[in-house]
Amino acid sequence: MYHAGAMAGRDEILIEIRDLSRTYEEGGRERTVLRGANANLRRGEIAVLVGRSGTGKSTLLNLLSGIDPPSGGEVVIDGVSISRLSERERTLFRRDRIGFVFQFFNLIPTLTVEENFLLPLELKGRRGRVPPAARQAALDLLAEVGLADRRASFPDRLSGGEQQRVAVARALAHDPLLVLADEPTGNLDLETGLAVLALLDRLTRRAGKTLVMATHSPEVVGLADRVFRIEDCRLIELPPAAKPGSPA
Amino acid sequence: MTPLLVRSSLRYLVRHPWQSGLAVLGVALGVAVVVAVDLANASALQAFDLSTEAVTGRTTHQVVAGPGGLPDDTFRRLAVEAGAPAAAPVVESWVTAGSDAVLARRHGGRTLHLLGIDPFAEAPFRPYLAGLGAASGGRSRTRVDLAALLTRPGTALLSGTTARELGVAAGSRLALRVEGRAAAVTLLGTLEPQDENTRRAVADLLIVDIATAQEIAGKVGQLSRIDLILPAGHDSGGRDRSAGGAQTRPAGKLRPPGSDSCAPSSPDLSLRSHDLLARICAALPPGAELLRAAARRESTESMTRAFRLNLTALSLLALVCGGFLIYNTITFSVVQRRTLLGTLRALGVTRGEVFALVLAEAALVAVAGSGLGLLAGVALGRGLVRLVTQTINDLYFVLSVQGLALPAWTLAKGFALGVGATLAAALGPAIEATTAPPRAVLTRSTLEARVKKALPRAGAVGTGLLALGGGLLALPGGIALAFVALFAVIVGFALLTPLATVGLMRLARRPMGALFGFLGRLAAGGVVAALSRTAVALAALVVAVSVTVGVGVMIASFRSTVVRWLDASLSADLYVTAPGRGGGFAGPTLDPGLADRAAALPGVARVDRIRRAEILSPTGPVRLIAVDRDVLHPGGEHSGGLLLRRGDPAAVGPAFTRGAVIVSEPFSRRRGVDVGSILLLRTAAGLRSFRVAGVYYDYASDQGLVMMARRTYLAAFGDRGLSGFSLTLAPGADADTVERALRAQLQATTEGLTVQSNRALKRASLAIFDRTFRITGVLRLLAGLVAGIGVLSALLALELERGRELAVLRANGLTPGQVWQLVTAETGLLGLASGLLSLPVGLALAWIMIFVVNRRSFGWTVQMETTPRVLVEAIVLALGAALLAGLYPAFRTARTSPARALREE
Repeated sequence: MYHAGAMAGRDEILIEIRDLSRTYEEGGRERTVLRGANANLRRGEIAVLVGRSGTGKSTLLNLLSGIDPPSGGEVVIDGVSISRLSERERTLFRRDRIGFVFQFFNLIPTLTVEENFLLPLELKGRRGRVPPAARQAALDLLAEVGLADRRASFPDRLSGGEQQRVAVARALAHDPLLVLADEPTGNLDLETGLAVLALLDRLTRRAGKTLVMATHSPEVVGLADRVFRIEDCRLIELPPAAKPGSPA
Repeated sequence: MTPLLVRSSLRYLVRHPWQSGLAVLGVALGVAVVVAVDLANASALQAFDLSTEAVTGRTTHQVVAGPGGLPDDTFRRLAVEAGAPAAAPVVESWVTAGSDAVLARRHGGRTLHLLGIDPFAEAPFRPYLAGLGAASGGRSRTRVDLAALLTRPGTALLSGTTARELGVAAGSRLALRVEGRAAAVTLLGTLEPQDENTRRAVADLLIVDIATAQEIAGKVGQLSRIDLILPAGHDSGGRDRSAGGAQTRPAGKLRPPGSDSCAPSSPDLSLRSHDLLARICAALPPGAELLRAAARRESTESMTRAFRLNLTALSLLALVCGGFLIYNTITFSVVQRRTLLGTLRALGVTRGEVFALVLAEAALVAVAGSGLGLLAGVALGRGLVRLVTQTINDLYFVLSVQGLALPAWTLAKGFALGVGATLAAALGPAIEATTAPPRAVLTRSTLEARVKKALPRAGAVGTGLLALGGGLLALPGGIALAFVALFAVIVGFALLTPLATVGLMRLARRPMGALFGFLGRLAAGGVVAALSRTAVALAALVVAVSVTVGVGVMIASFRSTVVRWLDASLSADLYVTAPGRGGGFAGPTLDPGLADRAAALPGVARVDRIRRAEILSPTGPVRLIAVDRDVLHPGGEHSGGLLLRRGDPAAVGPAFTRGAVIVSEPFSRRRGVDVGSILLLRTAAGLRSFRVAGVYYDYASDQGLVMMARRTYLAAFGDRGLSGFSLTLAPGADADTVERALRAQLQATTEGLTVQSNRALKRASLAIFDRTFRITGVLRLLAGLVAGIGVLSALLALELERGRELAVLRANGLTPGQVWQLVTAETGLLGLASGLLSLPVGLALAWIMIFVVNRRSFGWTVQMETTPRVLVEAIVLALGAALLAGLYPAFRTARTSPARALREE
């Protein structure tokens, strides 16, 4: 199932970020995190957001997923302006079309590995039903991340790397249009982090999914098709030569 | 909700057994108390209904009279002259039955309702007797012919169950004691009703022929009443008959109790029936009245209404405490899973689904808790029904409850209340869970910041509720309104608790620091820093302890008021009362000659005779006390034993002697009569008016009393019987010597007379007072228990959630002992704060209960008295409960390895 749409419409614009702004109120004062951001991302592209902590990377991911509504501008995904949707519509949009990978894995502790994995499918399915074919495809994916033998385990029995592999598979299980990853290696050692990155890269590219990943790890940049940085509340795309870690 | 979400929730509940278990227990206890009180009340009412039904049967109207009863001849006049289609004479009394050996003991034997009937007139009236003597078709199987009661004097019928309990069978002699006199009947046979209700209804009946009853009860030539069945159209307030023949319910709107069907404009009557009724009314002797049977039942049932309502309100307080517990538990479960819920929201779970998830968990707790609560309620109800019955017997009328009634409606109501209260308590946390933004989730600091921000709002709502409660209390209205106000005040105070806690902790920080160093400061700061958890625990504890303070102050005030009243009103030295139980307010009577003989004893200065009687009046039966003594003399508000509430002290005494009456405070309130009012009473010569000269303080009966000079009573009713008399000794006479002489003289003539000294009578009166408040004490304890569990649950949640914080402290060098100290200091502070806060709240509750609830329920004036002991007890109770509840969390936290706690986070 996760192969569906792979490589289809490769040049088609999937995400349009139009004049996007986000301001928060803190202690009675306004603090701007993002101002007038503009960008387009195509289907199947892997984009990386770099920058120091607190520059607004997570904020942008939240705006892209519809978790957070923008203060100005809009986000259009697959032709749908999610900024104009109601809270419930944004939630249902996210459920159907977006997969998430978190820094702290965020698996549901009271569900087994397999159940965690099937949860997005159930949420997407009608009345919580998962079609047998979708279930089988998802289980195949679980085998592919090397955790078929741990499917009955609860998350607290897994190592950090294993948990993040489950999280990566979970993000792709329901065949989303877009995968958002927020510091997916931030809580892992270098070696495990690289393995998880390789897995994420392999699976999203093969499935033709668009991946937007926030990170401050320079190793990630090498995987990216495009690199963005948030600087002084502005979203700036770095030219290939200026990618962090690239030879100047 | 998807199946996986449901599974996740279930596993969460199973993985946190303490938390889930305490929540279930909280609901269960709250429901159990409500159900138990409801069942006890329902059982008492059902027993009352059954016994009423057993003696009234299909009767639609009754002809009754005052203390002298009806002359025998009345029955003939009704049946023959008035042509009443169905009439049955009845003689009633209460007797004690048992073997001679059992009856020889002071309180031995079983109280039975002696029902004297005319076997030939009975057939249409009491269905369980209808089949007797017939070949078949009766509702009761028995081996005797009812007519044999007539042909064989001194014989009786008894329920088979009761006969077996008393160890008698057909042909056996059954010894009786009636008002101190010995009597006996021979058992002719037993009644074996086929349905359970009838079996219960007849369990306390001893059925005899009219003549036998008159002889046993000492009422020769008298009838207690005449039952009538008037054709449909005479009574819009009649009864429907259930299949069992013993269950009744009023059909249609009832007229006020005691309403006189002989009134010319009676709406009960169809034109067709006027003739018959006019004939019946014309045939009545002057002292008799025709009443609807349903109205009599209503009047008696209404006596206990306020008492039952008060119990129900107290039981609801336990449920309110349970509500706090649920709120606390569900809030904690939401806070504990803030990351999980945030993740779910990020994965696309809608707010509605999160809301449903939290409510579904609460519903599970609710169903489990309410189910357990029903079982526990039935068990607890068995205990409470004894206390309720005891109180009804002490205060109102003779009632024998054979078992606990389990009406489906009561159980359904208890279940619905439990589920409803739980869901209502979970509503707040469920909404809170949905407002948490996905991923950003409800972090602890966010939550605490939000709680702190909400403090002024909660305070404002609390103040608003207090104002609302105050406003409702100021409105004239019934008890229900007073209870709504009481609950508004309680919730108002609970909402103000967090604000007050912040203030108290600020004050405590410095002394705690001086006493315990940085741990003390940390503890004071910890209570405020975790206000989202501590506030609810504190509020629950404040509510529970304040209820304890309020009820405690109310009972203590009531008791000391009664003590003062007893001191003032019991001024004689010795009291003699007729023996025997039962008989309602009037009770058994004494031979008047006994008082004359007692007066002749050496050392006796004076004898004062007392007669209690239930008198008919157009506004329902009136409890009357006729006294010999000039209870009020000119020259003082307090003289002659009574304290005047209203009326000119100088004028009341002479007016009383000349024929006016004085009424007790509850009577004045219930009947709306005051000084100068005219009271209509049905005397032997018909309705007569009596002027009310004064209103006096009295705590003997919440039904209210009318006091009349015995001379006036004798002239009006011609009843020479005595209920008792008191002796005042001459100066210098030795009380013990006189008492011995009196006992010797009385026992020579009458068995089982009660002779009590002034002190013994006061002691006995206070024992009854204490007994009637025992059920209140039990309910107070149960409400405290629910709150205790709430505090335990809240502290457990608080300390478990702080595991990482404490682990960091441990990692930085805090010893396990210091962790103990810290946790104990925190819980101790919580206890102290709630103890201190519960004092003003408790006193406010006591004020409302004494001056509003009690006044509206019973009409008594009670002086509020606060003893330091009650207040100190409240603080000790709160401190103890909090420290006890903090023991396990302190133990667990101190034992947990810091590394593990840090890793678990």
